[in-house]
Amino acid sequence: MSGGLRLWLSRLGAMTLKELKQLSRDPILLVVIVYFFTADIYIAGAGVHMDLNNAPIAVMDHDRSAASRELIYRFRPPYFRLVREPQSIREAVRLLDEGKVLAVLDIPAHFQRDLLAGRQTVVQMQVDASNAMLGTLVSTYAGRIVARYGFERAKMHLGMGKAQLQAIPVVENRHRVYYNPNQSDPWFMAISEMLTVITMLSLMLPAAAAVREKERGTIEQLAVSPLSPAQILLPKVLAMGLAVLVGAAASLFLVIQAVFHVPIKGSSMLFFIMTALYVFATSGLGLFIATLSRNLGQVVMLVILIMMPLLLLSGAWTPPEAMPAFLRQAMHVSPLFYFTEMSYAILLKGAGLGVLWRLMLELALLGSLVFAFGVWRFRRQFG
Amino acid sequence: MGQATLVEASAAAPPMVRVRGFVKRYRRQVAVEGVDLTVRRGEIYGLIGPDGAGKSSLMKAVAGVLSFEGGGLEVFGHRVDSEASAEGIKARIGFMPQGLGLNLYAELSVEENIDFFAQLRELSAGVLAERKQKLLAMTRLAQFRDRPMKHLSGGMKQKLGLICTLIHGPDLVILDEPTTGVDPVSRRDFWAILAELLRSQGVTALVSTAYMDEAARFHRLSLMYQGRVLAAGEPEAILEQAPGSVVSVEVEPQIAALRRLGTSFSQVEGIGPRVRVFVPDAPPEAAAERVGATLAGFRLKDLKAGEAELEDAFIALLEKRRLTRISPPASDASYVEGKWGRFDPGAPGGASDGASHGGTGDPVVSIEARGLVRDFGAFRAVDRVSFQVRAGEIFGLLGANGAGKTTVIKMLTGILPPTEGEGAVAGADMRRAGQAIKARIGYMSQAFSLYQDLTVLENIRLYARIYAVPHRHLRARIDWVVEMAGLAGVTGRLTGRLPMGIRQRLALGCALVHQPRVLFLDEPTSGVDPVGRRRFWEILIQLSRAERVSILVTTHYMSEAEHCDHLALMYAGRIIADASPEAMKADLQATAGQLLEVASDRPLVALERLQRGGYAGVALFGRRVHLLARDVGAAIPAIRRELTAAGLREISVTPRAPTLEDVFVYRIMAMERQAREGIQ
Repeated sequence: MSGGLRLWLSRLGAMTLKELKQLSRDPILLVVIVYFFTADIYIAGAGVHMDLNNAPIAVMDHDRSAASRELIYRFRPPYFRLVREPQSIREAVRLLDEGKVLAVLDIPAHFQRDLLAGRQTVVQMQVDASNAMLGTLVSTYAGRIVARYGFERAKMHLGMGKAQLQAIPVVENRHRVYYNPNQSDPWFMAISEMLTVITMLSLMLPAAAAVREKERGTIEQLAVSPLSPAQILLPKVLAMGLAVLVGAAASLFLVIQAVFHVPIKGSSMLFFIMTALYVFATSGLGLFIATLSRNLGQVVMLVILIMMPLLLLSGAWTPPEAMPAFLRQAMHVSPLFYFTEMSYAILLKGAGLGVLWRLMLELALLGSLVFAFGVWRFRRQFG
Repeated sequence: MGQATLVEASAAAPPMVRVRGFVKRYRRQVAVEGVDLTVRRGEIYGLIGPDGAGKSSLMKAVAGVLSFEGGGLEVFGHRVDSEASAEGIKARIGFMPQGLGLNLYAELSVEENIDFFAQLRELSAGVLAERKQKLLAMTRLAQFRDRPMKHLSGGMKQKLGLICTLIHGPDLVILDEPTTGVDPVSRRDFWAILAELLRSQGVTALVSTAYMDEAARFHRLSLMYQGRVLAAGEPEAILEQAPGSVVSVEVEPQIAALRRLGTSFSQVEGIGPRVRVFVPDAPPEAAAERVGATLAGFRLKDLKAGEAELEDAFIALLEKRRLTRISPPASDASYVEGKWGRFDPGAPGGASDGASHGGTGDPVVSIEARGLVRDFGAFRAVDRVSFQVRAGEIFGLLGANGAGKTTVIKMLTGILPPTEGEGAVAGADMRRAGQAIKARIGYMSQAFSLYQDLTVLENIRLYARIYAVPHRHLRARIDWVVEMAGLAGVTGRLTGRLPMGIRQRLALGCALVHQPRVLFLDEPTSGVDPVGRRRFWEILIQLSRAERVSILVTTHYMSEAEHCDHLALMYAGRIIADASPEAMKADLQATAGQLLEVASDRPLVALERLQRGGYAGVALFGRRVHLLARDVGAAIPAIRRELTAAGLREISVTPRAPTLEDVFVYRIMAMERQAREGIQ
């Protein structure tokens, strides 16, 4: 029955065109989409680093010797930045309290004398660990600097030159870094942010489009027309999905590839097909949100409510291995988990369908379930 | 002179509100331009006009919550020109903004709402308890104290709003369209309560409305249109500014008669089988003669001539100032054959064949409901509703909010399955062929559900594609809609930027783009000005008479119900009356008696006397009192005697033809009485 199918497609086309026109005439929505897919991803990539960067420290040098100056000299940019030399222990603690410095290095008197005499000596490092990540970085970096200095002083003390270095039994740790050879944080952060943005917009845009029809009463007009619920809902998903895909392409090629020089190892076609599948799955959730909301404000609230667990359970922010076992199981109901796994695999590792088919199938299954649920809710409300 | 006695002994006092040359602009848009008015102590002053007339802006400024660009404003004799001066008057003002219950809190109960407003005004507990008691009793809300506001009916919300506005005992209340969206029974109730409150508390009121037929509720009023005052004064004085008479006659063939009359008169309407003509500058007898002469050669029946109403005067005044043109040039000889070209260009689509396509004049049933029932849980929203709508008939479904009108429409349009009963629409069975029905009908809701961010043409095209108008007819259908709805020149404009009247006609055009034989209209004219409303009805009459489209319409406007060929009145899910408007009025006179209008120099005193005198349906209409009397011959002298004994003068008692509103109110009140007695 090709006539019937043609009519069905014609109606679908008319409605999709309508959605696109409405989107193109909503300046605020357009600004949101453009911002999130470009500037937001750039800020995430350029601004967030897992390295220690210019951490402010204070130094109390009670020795004031060549040895202490040499140690202090090693706390320098780009990792550390010496900002103060407090006169008393009380002042040092105050600086920590006020957050002016992240650490205080305390070098005792007779530091140089003890070293020259071949005696052990101690320096103290007081670290602000209110930001756990930063605190850990500071103490790790500082520990490495002090250890290296100590090792070199020990060698000097034993009278060893460069040549004798081979003779010491030292285990050297050699890394071989795959997929991100320079361990560049922008790569990870920018891709992760893009996945977050795709999730948020594919939840929000179809929900907003559906709830706007509710707010203006046009949904009633559509309900008495010969359109089926699928013909009313699918165009929203199609139009908004298209907008998200175009945005994702812009951020992948114009920001992630052009600005951060991420080599796209795998097939970008495969990435977009997978993204389309993912957008379809999340828009089902979006339609579900639309059935619960009466206005745009409620849509935004519910999107945030759903976004948070999706993100936390996705592995985008915390690796699955670090989670308790029951949460690790829960991750399998978050579509973003599949999306994250597959995105990194395609973009950085160059994985193909041969590796990914299983994840893809699971995502398709989950997506169909979620979408069917959204349509069912909608049909019950307006069918 | 009547005013002085009505507003007892306070005419010498300074006016409550004095507005001079008031101007309000929103950026470039002028909302109010040079308005003058004076509100005297103790009166109900009305602002009447359609949406966008500037009523709300003016009222907000008087309430001290809106700054303005020009002119002077004095309230209680104080100049209001700054935020600080506005603060000084607010304690003595009660302001109720537009919208059903918009100033109230949906989740709070009736009592909690009142208490909250009292606390805002820092009322002492004793005063609050006493006033609350009294106001709840007067508004008959006492038994609903604990009910959350969101579960109140529209009329009850407005009464609660009124209590909250009056709780601090203001000297002046400002009520912005308190009766919009409220059914006629609740409207009448609201006015009665307002009049009573004003009398007992000595409060002055500034009230706005979009209903022209409420003008009689005001002592004095300003008729507003597009930011200007068209006329001001007592209702009678305004009518005198555009003198004329209304002639109504049953005529065959109606469409040709409308065309003939359109060449000589500017205000011509088809109402049921009758035509209604406003004849300017003529007393009733002369007007009847002129209409009779114009219609020479037609079959005329039951020609009546009488006083004009405010809406006629309003439109006549607009015409005088050349602000509008009502009728299109009536030289078009093809009125009957199809004023806008053929309704069916090309082959008839799937929509127009089948049982709905009537032969020559035989009454084919287009909509039939047989014992429709719909339950929502334990609540029966629609109870055994049956009716028939014939091809080419305009059928009106009337009823208060929640009477079940919309549920009936939802079942007939196939959105909602009935619990019991059956029906057929446009030849398709309602229970089995819901999808076929959807393709064959046109539907227009009260929200004019259009896409505001699409252009006029894009909206028409979208609906044409949704309703599968064949590609080869698309151009012809779009042209037809543009022509019919008078949209030439705005087709490229965004819908959201168009005035209400045009949006309404566009919505109608979209509902008609696929040539449906059956049209459902759910409160299609809310918020549209009288000129737009008349133009809309002109189109509907044309559709039903010339194209034989069946139209089912629900409305709150009783003046609109007069246009219908047949009416069904719904109450609590059931149809309690089903007849033509004429038959309903005749029935009212037969069962409840003749409507009498009583005029006197002190109407408030007359109202109280007549209410205590035990007459039926006593209600105040501005300066006149209406009541129903079975034995007119005995009642007229009895009323005269009673009022004279009370010291009233200038008494006149005249029989009047009842309006549909009288019918509606009488019927509903009778049902409510029955329901109460059933409980007891």
